[in-house]
Amino acid sequence: MSNLLPDKISKTLFIVTAILMSVNLYLIFAVTPMVPEQHWAQKIFYVHVPIAWSGFLSYFIVMLAGIMFLIKKDSKWDRIGLAAAELGTMFVVLVLITGPIWATPIWGKPWIWEPRLTTTLILFLIYVGYFMLRKFGGHPERVSRIAAVIGIIAFLDVPLIFYSVKLWTPQFQLHPQVEMNQQPDGILIPFLFSMFTFTLLYFLMIRIRIRILNFKHKLLTEENV
Amino acid sequence: MLSVLIKKELFVELRNKEVVFSMLAFGASVLLIFSFSFNGNPKTMHEIAPGLFWTLVLLSSSLGLHRMFGLEKDFDAFSSLIASPIDRSIIFLSKWISGFIFLSLTELLIVVPFFLFLGLSMPMSIMPGLFIVLSGNLGITAVGVLISGLAMRARMSAVLLPVLLFPLLTPLLIACVKSTAGWFNANPFEFYQIWVMIMITYVVIFGLAGFTLFDQITEE
Repeated sequence: MSNLLPDKISKTLFIVTAILMSVNLYLIFAVTPMVPEQHWAQKIFYVHVPIAWSGFLSYFIVMLAGIMFLIKKDSKWDRIGLAAAELGTMFVVLVLITGPIWATPIWGKPWIWEPRLTTTLILFLIYVGYFMLRKFGGHPERVSRIAAVIGIIAFLDVPLIFYSVKLWTPQFQLHPQVEMNQQPDGILIPFLFSMFTFTLLYFLMIRIRIRILNFKHKLLTEENV
Repeated sequence: MLSVLIKKELFVELRNKEVVFSMLAFGASVLLIFSFSFNGNPKTMHEIAPGLFWTLVLLSSSLGLHRMFGLEKDFDAFSSLIASPIDRSIIFLSKWISGFIFLSLTELLIVVPFFLFLGLSMPMSIMPGLFIVLSGNLGITAVGVLISGLAMRARMSAVLLPVLLFPLLTPLLIACVKSTAGWFNANPFEFYQIWVMIMITYVVIFGLAGFTLFDQITEE
């Protein structure tokens, strides 16, 4: 554990995230009010939205790391991009699992071609290709460049996917269009708290993942020498 | 230099007919399967025809796009091409334009059997349909050439190309199907112009992305 959390910042981040996540779970299950007609299903909203935010943030970081890698040619940015892609995909898979769990009792069926869910699914499929390319792409340096390009064009595609799916299925605008400023404090404050906690968790995870990838890179470099 | 490279692509294709022939043969086979699988009444066929057409185009184009860099890969000619004093963005443009020509030519040859086998009637006004199809082809080949270029030297490149290409093409495919349906149903242009706008936006964004990023993916 000390290898993964070597410095004071990482250790502090780990402790703060652990405490906040415990408080977050307590707030979700014990404090937040039950919404009429949704009951327990609504509770997933406090997890589903923050993980969706973390997933999209992660894919945005993949794009930024890709741009930086192509400009600077420093493999550090490739490892940041890979770590963000892995975590982004993990969060997106969780979104695709928690979405249907909420939708089944509320919409009566687990899947509807709704823009947010569809965009998430398509991004997930693009990243399946991304990881296949990482695995079977050939020369590592070339793969890094190609992965950076895919990370950039995948994110460029997001607004187009969202907008076209939205127009394609106007009858499926069933995703809760939550106006957060109209929510009562009993819902709004725990929701914002959960967003903040999951963001911290994301930064802790990416920090650890980058460190592991740095170790691997160092080992491989030493082996080659 | 661009015209020289396009001439080279056309000349090579004229000699071996690899890209167009593979797309055409594959497209005809898929069309045959469609004819047997979707043997519905004329009204149903009319409704699903735009989706079937673009599915056919997408499947065929993935095969042709894979061959766009196939010859250069087989004979290791791509290294020579990128070693020559040519801006690599110009190489992208030449591949894009030639890919667009090959795909449009294939569609020209497949469109009559498509209408014939599926028992469809051709809409009266050809021009809007032609514009939609050509815009769709531009979008497919812009992303296709970029993805084909980056998957070219990978193991399992034949699998990687569609796995990466199809999800990336989703917004374009939706726009193509919707605008083609608008044309098929003889709706006024205003009813489906938003889809045409999405297609044009897609072509511009991914054309520029390909032009800018092709240099990075071809670096040795």
